[in-house]
Amino acid sequence: MVGYGIQSMLKDGHKHLSGLDEAVLKNIGAGRELSAITRTSLGPNGMNKMVINHLDKLFITNDAATIVNELEVQHPAAKLLVLAARAQQEEIGDGANLTISFAGELLEKAEELIRMGLHPSEIIIGYTKAINKTLEILDDLVEKGSENMDVRNREEVVLRMKSAVASKQFGQEDVLCPLVADACIQVCPQNPGNFNVDNVRVAKLVGGGLHNSSVVRGMVLKNDAVGSIKKVEKVKVAVFAGGVDTSATETKGTVLIHSAEQLENYAKTEEAKVEELIKSVADSGAKVIVSGAAVGDMALHFCERYKLMVLKVSSKFELRRFCRTTGAIALLKLSRPNVDELGYADYVSVEEIGGARVTVVKNEEGGNSVATVVLRGSTDSILDDLERAVDDGVNTYKSMCRDSRIIPGAAATEIELAKRLKEFSLKETGLDQYAIAKFGESFEMVPRTLSENAGLGAMEIISSLYAEHAAGNVKVGIDLEKGACEDASIMKIWDLYVTKSFALKYSADAVCTVLRVDQIIMAKPAGGPRPPQQGDI
Amino acid sequence: VDPHAEPERGGDEQVGGPGHEHRRRQGGLQDVLKTNLGPKGTIKMLVGGAGDIKLTKDGNTLLKEMQIQNPTAIMIARTAVAQDDTSGDGTTSTVLFIGELMKMSERCIEEGTHPRFLVDGFEVAKKATLEFLETFKTPVVIGDQPDREILKMVARTTLRTKLYEGLADQLTDIVVNAVLCIRQSDQPIDLFMVEIMHMRHKFDVDTRLIEGLVLDHGSRHPDMKRRAENCYILTANVSLEYEKSEINAGFFYSNAEQREKMVTAERRQVDERVQKIIELKNKVCAGTDKNFVVINQKGIDPPSLDLLARAGIIALRRAKRRNMERLVLACGGEAINSVEGMTEDCLGWAGLVYEHVLGEEKYTFVENVKNPHSCTILIKGPNDHTIAQIKDAVRDGLRSVKNTVEDEAVVLGAGAFEMAARKHLIDNVKKTVKGRAQLGVGAFADALLVIPKTLAENSGLDTQDVIVSLENEHDRGLVVGLNHNTGEPVDPEMEGIYDNYSVKRQIVNSGPIIASQLLLVDEVIRAGRNMRKPT
Repeated sequence: MVGYGIQSMLKDGHKHLSGLDEAVLKNIGAGRELSAITRTSLGPNGMNKMVINHLDKLFITNDAATIVNELEVQHPAAKLLVLAARAQQEEIGDGANLTISFAGELLEKAEELIRMGLHPSEIIIGYTKAINKTLEILDDLVEKGSENMDVRNREEVVLRMKSAVASKQFGQEDVLCPLVADACIQVCPQNPGNFNVDNVRVAKLVGGGLHNSSVVRGMVLKNDAVGSIKKVEKVKVAVFAGGVDTSATETKGTVLIHSAEQLENYAKTEEAKVEELIKSVADSGAKVIVSGAAVGDMALHFCERYKLMVLKVSSKFELRRFCRTTGAIALLKLSRPNVDELGYADYVSVEEIGGARVTVVKNEEGGNSVATVVLRGSTDSILDDLERAVDDGVNTYKSMCRDSRIIPGAAATEIELAKRLKEFSLKETGLDQYAIAKFGESFEMVPRTLSENAGLGAMEIISSLYAEHAAGNVKVGIDLEKGACEDASIMKIWDLYVTKSFALKYSADAVCTVLRVDQIIMAKPAGGPRPPQQGDI
Repeated sequence: VDPHAEPERGGDEQVGGPGHEHRRRQGGLQDVLKTNLGPKGTIKMLVGGAGDIKLTKDGNTLLKEMQIQNPTAIMIARTAVAQDDTSGDGTTSTVLFIGELMKMSERCIEEGTHPRFLVDGFEVAKKATLEFLETFKTPVVIGDQPDREILKMVARTTLRTKLYEGLADQLTDIVVNAVLCIRQSDQPIDLFMVEIMHMRHKFDVDTRLIEGLVLDHGSRHPDMKRRAENCYILTANVSLEYEKSEINAGFFYSNAEQREKMVTAERRQVDERVQKIIELKNKVCAGTDKNFVVINQKGIDPPSLDLLARAGIIALRRAKRRNMERLVLACGGEAINSVEGMTEDCLGWAGLVYEHVLGEEKYTFVENVKNPHSCTILIKGPNDHTIAQIKDAVRDGLRSVKNTVEDEAVVLGAGAFEMAARKHLIDNVKKTVKGRAQLGVGAFADALLVIPKTLAENSGLDTQDVIVSLENEHDRGLVVGLNHNTGEPVDPEMEGIYDNYSVKRQIVNSGPIIASQLLLVDEVIRAGRNMRKPT
């Protein structure tokens, strides 16, 4: 006889969890544990994690988005937090760690509330009220005058970018930020709102050190030129998407030959044809031919003869970027390009950087084109991590192009939020005031973690922060180096308003979703090879 | 007889009697769905075989995803699915109602009543309830200008049971406007004309209605415009790519020049077609700031795209078939199947066409159309499960509005109908029935109460208390429902809580049928397991 209840109706292997203890508290536990992992990586003094994913690829990073992505979280509730972090990463490109850590803290507080006897639905109401209030307060905390910024002013850009990059690569932000800022400003279009992250490329080259890194106005292709001409300056560029070779019909063609003479002639006509084409390209003024597909031997021969540099770019997207860099229009077939279809590059040259041959394409004048940050570092994993920091920086730039408002960093904002939410909760009459108070308390997690990660006494610092804020110094945050309180505007630590507001909103959303669930029905995990077991979550 | 056939007899004969087994199973299903009902219902989390997450409050979705195996449960689940197919809502109520009917019958059966009498009683009660529903319903006049308020109320009632309040209220406007947009006075409403598109972007509250169309792909040429205003839209189903001939053909040539000729000849046909489109563009757009957009159901190959891009035309290829229909409805014009004899009349018009890129995905928006008969609900959400949840809710919301327009009637919600119907059954119908079938009518009447009871339970109220106070109000001749916030009786008309007429009718209709069938089954015989498969 089959058992009673829902279990009897489902297929074998289904799991059904319901009720407060089985579902809600378990979910909370899972979320909390996930956030415990990422929490130690929060802030500039955060620790790195060594993650080995199922493909045995090694990651050394403190970028929460990467960590949780590679963790392959199985638990459904923890997965909700991961999804929130991912959404944050896609939308803003930074602040994923704050999303998870804060959500974990909120869940922990929710558990306390449940143990106190509150119903999850009351907590949800309280949390929802609190997040709305938080966003209001956040609006209020925006630094005056920051909504109008010149996104082409390097100083201002660096100022806003620094905290994002510093949290990934502490100590190197003074080198990285100007690089990223330079690259971003170069490619920033007329209307900064249209800034495209894709226009800032990263080329990673092993060898040297971070101090050898540089910004190239243009592109760095990671391959050699095809022909023997390796360096040209101030040239016109012709781009062919379809490859540089003899043309072919779609339908299969057969060469009809009756005699040996014809065979000879055929080869000659073929040659003549190619020569004619290449000559026409050369006549148009182009000095560089870029091919999106194979370059035929014969075509190459004629290119050499007409002193054309030949580059091969096999990726379609790379080719498009190339077109953007030089302003060329890609032609489908090998033919004589019009003047307006030609692009222009100041400098195309094959260079040897750290043992790798790369082709550098520079275009100093093309305002709205592509810039590349050439990163140097001793190992691949360091380069990967640097790249993530650069990506975060670029994304921050994108966000600030859309909304340049800033708020004090270094946990100053969090303490102020905690303080004001506490005041707000006292004015509420219902049961949700407990939830609002706890929501406010959760903000203490940020200064606590920051100081814990920096090896400072958390309680002491939080209490002195509160004292400062009570005295009306709303911009006072932690100075991690001195281990004391300091005004964020003096330390020049600012966070972007959008990053914070999205992160808080995503985590509150995720937490409310976790709390709303009271039953979980899990299907039997699908078959197939199991990934190697890792620290179960 | 198959020696492996195992009779599954219903539990302990002395206590349960025939059919006991079903009631037990049914109880399980009811338990799962019970907490879903109403605006205060809780969310279930379903985890699929691949670890994918789905969150739902919708009974139908839940039943679909649960992979039920038990035969009795499957029967009930199927009824619920049928309920969803016909009316789009009320699945949870159906399951609960069937469950409650079984529970009530069990009580009678334990006292020695034969199921047959109960079934007879159900039949009578069902008929009476349906008649009562006809008198109880609130007629709605749907003319050329339907009363938006009442449609909104119905949509809100449905949506609030699927999503949290703030979002539900926002979607209410969206679904009502969407249905009114596609409604054409003399034709039945075709909900397929509302495109539901989703983007993983921003927050769930950024979901909006677009009068026009959103296509989930973009132009495939880097030099085409990303944004154009005042556009002519050419909806076409013409192949603009070179197609190989059906027969096995080959070219013969003996020198490169001949081959070049072949290459151009081969493309000539396609190029001519493209040229025709460009000519039309030049004719209608010349000298104005108007733009031209081609949306093609078939392919457009790179050379053709290139030609079009040079002529300043935005071209989209491989549009979905259903979008072709919608495009014509949204923008006007007609879908052409041949480039011969195109005129300006074939073209549609849109005020704004632009492309939006989200990571790898491209979306094309066709907006600001004139007099649209098709529209798009653009669902946004930060993650897939939020989007799926909204999608299910929007579907149900659309159906509820459509049902109202078609039924031309609504029923008071918040448990008011159930209370009134019960009173009618007990006071008027039960007395007219002779014999033991009365018990069936009574059971039916009591089973109706499951809706207000569960509503109260999910809101954390005292069930008995609520029922008694509601009954008192009804005895005084007032039609009231349950206010799930306070637990007090409330006038659903004042609060704007209306249910679909067809949903209620379907529940009352199908519930007793399945319950009767299950009651009359006394033995389940399952075929033996397949011997070839190791068990």
